[in-house]
Amino acid sequence: MSTAYERQPSPKSEAFLASVENSKYDRQIITGLQKFFDGKAPANMRDLYSPVELQTLRELRGTPKDVEKRMPVKVTRHYCEQAKKSAPMRTLIKATPAETVDLDGAPDPGRQMDYSPVEGLIHKYELGLIYVASTCSAHCRFCYREELIARKEVERPDGTMAPKGLAQIEEIVRYILKHNAEVRANGGTHPQTGREKLREILMSGGDPMVLSNSNLASWLSALAEAGIEQVRIGTKEMAFFPDRFDATFMDMLDKFHAAYPGVQLRMMVHFNHPDEFLQMDDAGGYIDDPAGGLTWLPNTRRAVAELGKREWLSIDNQAPIIKGINDDADALRIMQRELRRHRIENHYFFCGRDIVGHKAFNVPIEEAWRILNNSQKGLSGVEGHALLSITHYKGKTEVVAVTNQPIKGVAHSERGVIIFKLLRSAKDAPDKGKVAIAGRNPSAIWFSGYTDRVVFDELGLFDEYIALEKKAQAPTPMQLAAVE
Amino acid sequence: MAVIVGENCIRCKHTDCVAVCPVDCFYEGPNFLAIHPDECIDCALCVPKCPVNAIYAEGDVPQDQAEFIELNREPSARWPQLRKRKSALPDADRWNGVPGKREYLER
Repeated sequence: MSTAYERQPSPKSEAFLASVENSKYDRQIITGLQKFFDGKAPANMRDLYSPVELQTLRELRGTPKDVEKRMPVKVTRHYCEQAKKSAPMRTLIKATPAETVDLDGAPDPGRQMDYSPVEGLIHKYELGLIYVASTCSAHCRFCYREELIARKEVERPDGTMAPKGLAQIEEIVRYILKHNAEVRANGGTHPQTGREKLREILMSGGDPMVLSNSNLASWLSALAEAGIEQVRIGTKEMAFFPDRFDATFMDMLDKFHAAYPGVQLRMMVHFNHPDEFLQMDDAGGYIDDPAGGLTWLPNTRRAVAELGKREWLSIDNQAPIIKGINDDADALRIMQRELRRHRIENHYFFCGRDIVGHKAFNVPIEEAWRILNNSQKGLSGVEGHALLSITHYKGKTEVVAVTNQPIKGVAHSERGVIIFKLLRSAKDAPDKGKVAIAGRNPSAIWFSGYTDRVVFDELGLFDEYIALEKKAQAPTPMQLAAVE
Repeated sequence: MAVIVGENCIRCKHTDCVAVCPVDCFYEGPNFLAIHPDECIDCALCVPKCPVNAIYAEGDVPQDQAEFIELNREPSARWPQLRKRKSALPDADRWNGVPGKREYLER
């Protein structure tokens, strides 16, 4: 990957990059279903799909319901092996016809393109997200970046259609330097957007941990030299291929930290279910660790311990709540407890977005809240930090509470209410803390389920959906003509 | 699974592919690049990048280039890793599309 940018890389970054060692990783990935169809998958992975399942999937090929077209199919040997004992893991990784029964969904959920000033960069709040990879070692069927992974065309602000592209180092550095110079010159806020200095970057995609150590290092040093204060790496590689977090990777991180001690590093990991990292006996039960808690898979344990040793590095978990995977309060309780025991902070759980095919995966919002709330009963305050988040295009919103009793004098509150609170606004900070309240709708999987029962909305969270509904209900020109 | 470098790379060796490879799985021979089949993660970003269309996703390797599967696997285990793009070989334009370059492959 190119490392040329407008400012010449410093001797320090040259020295750092020259010191980085790559490893050869053997993930034993199977991409696509063809190998399964042909019976050519390795013996230890062959039984992931049954003959009947393969037949059904084969019949969908080339039709509008083709599962591989919606979201490419991919699995690592490590994940496949562990999934043998875990129905939730199989649900996560196995393509099924249910995914394409209903292809309703937004082509660009969260309207990412509205916030993309440069290819591969989403700039919301004071955090920038960059796509550095368009693939992962394995693919979650519920992925909300399916339009990037499947290289689908999305509409750009200028109206053209093209697949989302990856971020390029030079362009991103140029953008950061220019944006922050403009902020400085304007007394601390950007003249156009009102945003403050861009100081955090989240490396995402796809999975940044598919990048080699040297490619990751190129990004890290470029971002550091552009003045970024915190780099987050969002990855599910800890579940798909924990051996990626080997000695050469740790060494690269250590050298980065030595060269740029002021830059904070956060690993944002993604575990959906404790089966992904806990040892299981033949009956699928967990095994007590004589030292306390439950026994982890050794490679995962090692990876987490190595990261955990580095006190300048933080590790947080974020995961969506998905039907058939982790819509289970007991599993989530075990997961939150075990992660926290090993220095992984429980950051967020998410409600599924309105991706294409979302009806196969999404748990109703109120149900997700109930499950997470139940999972946190019995957790200590320190273990139970995770909030339930739902990302409206206006910003990250917390699902704060769901009540069950009517509130006297409040319309729509007969069965209780649901309360949303804005955590972070996409455009700027002042709306933080504002609230929206709606009457209950136990089957709602998105904001659009509440348009007819809004109680209070100081954010305008429901406005767009109300407008869409009005438009859908308005008589068509033909109907009006018929009346006349 | 892997992506395969085919015959048209021989004596051209543009290396545009290397610039986009996230995992750095290209290994450099005297007049050819090989992809290490275990390291390749099938992102296939290199396939459209090659200016002479020498690279194939595993399912798309033409029949008459099937031997290149092994001709990627074997040398990639011993050649040095190439992480950065460099200049193409001096006669790259002359050798683009020339049939039967297989015999010139330097192992």
